Amino acid sequence: MSAAAHLRSALFGVMGMAVAAAGMTVALPQTVQAATPAACAALQAKYPSLKGKTLVNAINPHTPGYETIDPSNPTNYIGFDIDLGEAIGDCLGFKITYKAVTFAALLTTLQAGQADIVISDIYATKDRAKAADFITYLKVFDGVLVAKGNPKGITGINMSLCGTVAAENTGYVEVPLIQALEAECKKAGKPAPEILLFDNNANCIQAILAGRADTYINDVNTVDGAVKAYPDKLAKATAVTLPYSVGIAVPRNNVEFRDAVMAALTEIQKTGLQAELMKKWNLPAEQLETPKLVLAD
Amino acid sequence: MDLFLHYLRMPYLLDGVGYTLLITVLGLLGGLVMGVVLAAMQLSRFRTLAIMARAYSIIFRGTPLILQMVFCYNALPMIGIKLSAITAAGLALALNEAPFIAEILRSNVIGVDRGQVSAGQALGMTPAAIMRRVIAPQAIRSMVPALGNESVSALKNSSLASVVAVQELTLRSTQLASATFDFFSIFFASGLMYLVLTGAIAVIQIVVEMLLDLDRPPPKEQLARFLRALLPGRGTPAPLAPVTPPDVAAEILDEIATDPLPPPSPRSGPIDRAARARRLAGNNAAVEVKQLRKSYGSQNVLDGIDLTVRAGEIVALLGPSGSGKSTLLRCINRLEGWQDGTIRVGGRFLGSDEDGRPLSPRVTAQMRASVGVGMVFQQFNLFGHLTARENIAGPLRWVQGLSRLDADRRAQELLDRVGLAHRADALPRHLSGGQQQRVAIARAVAPGPAVLLLDEPTSALDPELVGEVLEVIRRLAVEEGLAMIISTHQLRFAGEVADRIVFLAEGTVIEQGPAEQILRAPSHPLTARFLSTMNAE
Repeated sequence: MSAAAHLRSALFGVMGMAVAAAGMTVALPQTVQAATPAACAALQAKYPSLKGKTLVNAINPHTPGYETIDPSNPTNYIGFDIDLGEAIGDCLGFKITYKAVTFAALLTTLQAGQADIVISDIYATKDRAKAADFITYLKVFDGVLVAKGNPKGITGINMSLCGTVAAENTGYVEVPLIQALEAECKKAGKPAPEILLFDNNANCIQAILAGRADTYINDVNTVDGAVKAYPDKLAKATAVTLPYSVGIAVPRNNVEFRDAVMAALTEIQKTGLQAELMKKWNLPAEQLETPKLVLAD
Repeated sequence: MDLFLHYLRMPYLLDGVGYTLLITVLGLLGGLVMGVVLAAMQLSRFRTLAIMARAYSIIFRGTPLILQMVFCYNALPMIGIKLSAITAAGLALALNEAPFIAEILRSNVIGVDRGQVSAGQALGMTPAAIMRRVIAPQAIRSMVPALGNESVSALKNSSLASVVAVQELTLRSTQLASATFDFFSIFFASGLMYLVLTGAIAVIQIVVEMLLDLDRPPPKEQLARFLRALLPGRGTPAPLAPVTPPDVAAEILDEIATDPLPPPSPRSGPIDRAARARRLAGNNAAVEVKQLRKSYGSQNVLDGIDLTVRAGEIVALLGPSGSGKSTLLRCINRLEGWQDGTIRVGGRFLGSDEDGRPLSPRVTAQMRASVGVGMVFQQFNLFGHLTARENIAGPLRWVQGLSRLDADRRAQELLDRVGLAHRADALPRHLSGGQQQRVAIARAVAPGPAVLLLDEPTSALDPELVGEVLEVIRRLAVEEGLAMIISTHQLRFAGEVADRIVFLAEGTVIEQGPAEQILRAPSHPLTARFLSTMNAE
């Protein structure tokens, strides 16, 4: 297939996404109900130091559905994580501003004190808990994004990846999982999987469109979004369950703040607000997870 | 195409351009300030400063900008310095640009001809004045292209600020691409925006180069012409200045024919040499050299020179190349140091206090001016960026503190005397060698020195131009009454002008005595051989 044909189909894909984006923005103006005023008032009384503050939320705004800029008003950020953060802020009485960084810089930004909280579709792993405390709020479902027709027959993070090229974001949890396959592949006499590291989703998706990578394994909703944008070029091969949860990262040395956020999140789930927000952003309801802490050992 | 145009006009991206420019400007200005400091440290005579500056350069030139960005943003907070994203990125860019800009500054400062510095020193200018009046104006002109390059590179490097969350053009482009999947339209649009910005830098560079071009009219006039050309209905604009430099060769030929020296003063008649010699013998010593020794490594350049020159006396230094004539002259006004021996000029030790401790370059410069010792160089060493008049008037204002009016008057008077009044506004490069040397002599004489050192003043000249310069010196000798030490190969001239000839060979005085006697009947075989070789040519 010639480069020109590639480009043409990419352009068609772009138009498809424009239509999809338009649909998304129409859905936006839904009003979202706040958590029970009484419970939140109690929390505000318990944690008065947060009230009236403006906190910085570090995000990697390259994950449609979770956090991106708003194409119709690009100084705003939109997505499930954004709405959830605002809901927590509403409940505890603080406002939120955003700091856009690369995925790999999310936790370093928090550690450096350049941000107060990270709500950015980041998986709460024990490793990452060395840098921040996590409060989980979603279960992780990964999808396997492949070129249409899945020419390499990839079926998940398993031996089917031997000899293929996977696009991943720097710092994603999938990276070490894929790297761990190397020994197994070699034992079976197959070449190890190769990993191309990028800085954001768009680049990973472009890598498959350009034929540089065979797969991109990431959050299932991101994968679905990409397939929706390029229906004639991309497909979801399968879903993978990873033993992780998505978490809100807060500084390690501030237990009071962590408790406050966890209490507010619990309240938001109790009133059904989180479920409502998940519906708004097309996240499957079974992804919801009761808050638990992931801390360093 | 529609999408491309849409993104090209999108305020979100245009604001991103604003942040890109802000960081670039912060980085360049900060880098320039730090670059000046670093370059000054590296050029300083204090070794520790130079080593510190070099160490800084090695670190910040040798590590990637992206690491420096992350360092300023994420590591500085750990020691209690929490900068905003823009400040951190601006600081990182400045830290990174500084060594590059310092090297541009340093190489262009070094690139200014050493002779220009010697000339400034000889005129009694302090190091700071030489930097400000002589080196900087010339270095700045030659560093514009390199600085233009550096600006373009800084602008593009500013895109790395995206890693520390600055909302600049690249970050905004990638965010928009992630949200919309309009990968190509967005990056073509932001690419075009970068091109416009770098194009603007190129235009600024061209304009600055034009404004600084010495062959063009002064900037004010150029700007006025430019504005006149822009304003409609103001009649036809004045014709632009000719861009091609004037035909120098033809001009020089014209000048030779049309700029004769004014008639000599009545005092320049034949002189009674014996009477003059008796009179001079009673004068104070203007220059006293005792047991002067100087060597470069194991090679002795000056090997125990003794020489006394009386006020008003004219001494010709003869000797083969490498005999130490130039070095002796440069030691006398302390352009160079030496290992052993003393030199007094006007009774004072130039460049050292009474106990022999060396003085700072600044104090030495002031002493040169107050003692009154001028120098004329083989290579003329006129300040290349200044007109003939300014070459003379400038130092009078900067060193002697004359008013502009007085300095210009004195310059004009001296240019008259060397027959170049009509070339007062010409740049050195538009003058012939002979004319340049005449201006250089006028410049050296302008402050009224007590001693004038002339270092082979005609050796770099074409034969047909030697005569005019010798004539100027001859008249000075008669009219000014200052002590002169001239190193020369012009035997006939030495015989006519000098009271005494000193013959140097291999760093020692072989023979000295009244000019006529040495030329007619040298007593030392080396002198005799040298004279016969010179006469044979």
